[in-house]
Amino acid sequence: MSGDLHRLLAERRIVVCVGTGGVGKTTVAAALALAAARQGQRSLVVTIDPARRLADALGLAELGNEPHALPSDRLVALGAAPDARMEAMMLDMKRTFDDLVQRFAPDEASVERILANPIYQHVSDALAGSAEYSAMEKVYELSEREDLDLIVLDTPPSQHALDFLEAPERLIGFLESRVVQVLVHPAFAGARLGFRLFQRGVQQALRLIERVSGMGFLEDLSEFLLSIEGMSEGFRERALSVRELLFGSGSAFVLAAGPTVESVAMADGFLDRLVESGADVRALVLNRVRVWPESEALPDPDSPAAVAALADALGDASDEAAVAALRAARSYVGLVQQDAMATEKLRGRAAQSGCEVCVVPEFSRDVHDLDGLARVASHLCPNDRPND
Amino acid sequence: MPPSVSAEQELPLSDAPPMSGEASEGALRPLLARRLVIVTGKGGTGKTSVASALALAAARSGRRVALLETGRAEHAPRLFEPAAAPVGYEGRDLLPGLRARRIEPYAALTEYLRSELRIPGIVTRVLSNPGFRQLMDAAPGWRELITLGKVWHLREAQDDGRPTWDLIVVDAPATGHGLVFLDVPRVVVSAVRAGPLQRHAGWVEAMIKDPRDTLLLPVTLAEELPARETAELVARLRGEIGVTVDRVIVNALPDAPFPASLGALDARLAALDLPTGVAGLPSASALAQCTRHLRERYELGQEYLGRVREWTGLPTTCLPYLTGGVRGIDDLARLAEALVDGEPTR
Repeated sequence: MSGDLHRLLAERRIVVCVGTGGVGKTTVAAALALAAARQGQRSLVVTIDPARRLADALGLAELGNEPHALPSDRLVALGAAPDARMEAMMLDMKRTFDDLVQRFAPDEASVERILANPIYQHVSDALAGSAEYSAMEKVYELSEREDLDLIVLDTPPSQHALDFLEAPERLIGFLESRVVQVLVHPAFAGARLGFRLFQRGVQQALRLIERVSGMGFLEDLSEFLLSIEGMSEGFRERALSVRELLFGSGSAFVLAAGPTVESVAMADGFLDRLVESGADVRALVLNRVRVWPESEALPDPDSPAAVAALADALGDASDEAAVAALRAARSYVGLVQQDAMATEKLRGRAAQSGCEVCVVPEFSRDVHDLDGLARVASHLCPNDRPND
Repeated sequence: MPPSVSAEQELPLSDAPPMSGEASEGALRPLLARRLVIVTGKGGTGKTSVASALALAAARSGRRVALLETGRAEHAPRLFEPAAAPVGYEGRDLLPGLRARRIEPYAALTEYLRSELRIPGIVTRVLSNPGFRQLMDAAPGWRELITLGKVWHLREAQDDGRPTWDLIVVDAPATGHGLVFLDVPRVVVSAVRAGPLQRHAGWVEAMIKDPRDTLLLPVTLAEELPARETAELVARLRGEIGVTVDRVIVNALPDAPFPASLGALDARLAALDLPTGVAGLPSASALAQCTRHLRERYELGQEYLGRVREWTGLPTTCLPYLTGGVRGIDDLARLAEALVDGEPTR
């Protein structure tokens, strides 16, 4: 089974790691990048989450908008080949969006006009939505690097992950929408009756916004749209390329989930939406699962024989420690059973969609350093080297 | 609903002196004495459970409480009753005095524009205009603003001269987006030059910063990543946003697996030679491993509980770990009890 994940990392250029919040998605993404490095690949893990989880997971204090290579002696110590490489980065949304303007604006004056526009500042000030646009841009830029075999992309928690995937379409839709055309070319409208009617509707809508918002807003908005007009062709091409990149044959999706009832229910719905959107979901990683070996008897603190045998072996006159130990073990088995039920449910679901299920057991320490990541990587890809 | 005012409700509202809730002397202002509690935290920490438990505690103390979800999907109603149907924008009473609603941005926008413009025909036509929808779908920020605007509106609502809702509990977006959520009013106030929008955003901003009646309640787990993220969140919430935070909720804290008086029980178990074939008796290694795991998880929890206090400088309220998650109102009641009974620990 796990050979599939080896192959996935070796064959795909981009692996998008999606999932609900709090399931260790960033950990899984970083562990996948590390597993790839252990297969001798040159990998990069990117997070677009505004919180600093990846920085924490990698034990790095500062992650900028540029990739940062992990020390190669550390990687080798963790089982990577000497020529393997692993880089990590966290996107700085604001800077990326400014870069985008610099790149696509027709001239320096436009750049300045756009950057100074209050609407642009709104959009780029990490307000919800704009982060996804700019993340897409950076992903594309990174994919053009020829010295990388694999890019693992971490995404924001479930509600926003689909925003992220749909960002290119939304951007194209917006730039090509007639409302933008009307704002940009109010004079061009005359030609067709349908268009005139549409324009009247939009103008009505805009008058309404203006009444509520105050005069300045509309002026700024149309100026903003005018100034990005010269850029829209670049945006459009880029957005389409990103769509092809993420949903093309070079990319695969990995869905991370936790073993709780709530997390499994959320993962289920998430999988549906992903598949609907055309994503190639190849693996389901169930993280932090508690396990109990099948060969073992179920601990029973109410079994007098078990309590007596344990107290005897402990050499205790009282049953206290024996009962406490069996109770604790019993409560642990309760957790194991809860996790097993959740795992079964997800396995059934994964079988329907034809994707692999990887179970990562819970460790007694949280994973927030490279050694922890290496342990997760070993569970995701059990043999360090696939037969190549 | 009959207007019932219980004694315990009157007391904190009228007698408690106004205070910021920052690390002040003596007892903190009780959670149930606030008018607006905004629950946030890293994804997966149990925000919705905490918000629901708080709403339950409020309803059971005789308050009228609105529990507002802000995401695209509803989760709270099913915590009260696993088979519950969605409650939607208008909402539904999950219990007497407890109304759950989901604040859908377009519904809130329609309501807002109707009340502002008083020409319902035009509003309907405009909102159904595909161009307008395209513009709005792509525009950032307004969903957050209109959602908070609706919270403000509910907070101001009155029945017979007293507030319709004694307490409003908002299940806010997860940390990263939660900060954006609360920051939008400030950004709008500074970016829009004049007009009703600027004025209204100002009201919303003032509501968020109200030190007496509004509280932000961060929810975390006693683990490395959530604890760090919470420390960062609390610093930014108090600094940039200026909202009152007076405690941190540490959810799903593991219990001690065995009494401390038993010392290193798991180590003793590991060294045993146990008979096989005894019903209910696993091997020594299995017993040792799982008790050790539970003890380490417990110790880790205690360690990070201390760090949450140290890193945030705030007292904490701990909620128990519930095996199987929140499966109904009885589980919520357990959380509710831990949430409102007693003082947070420093």
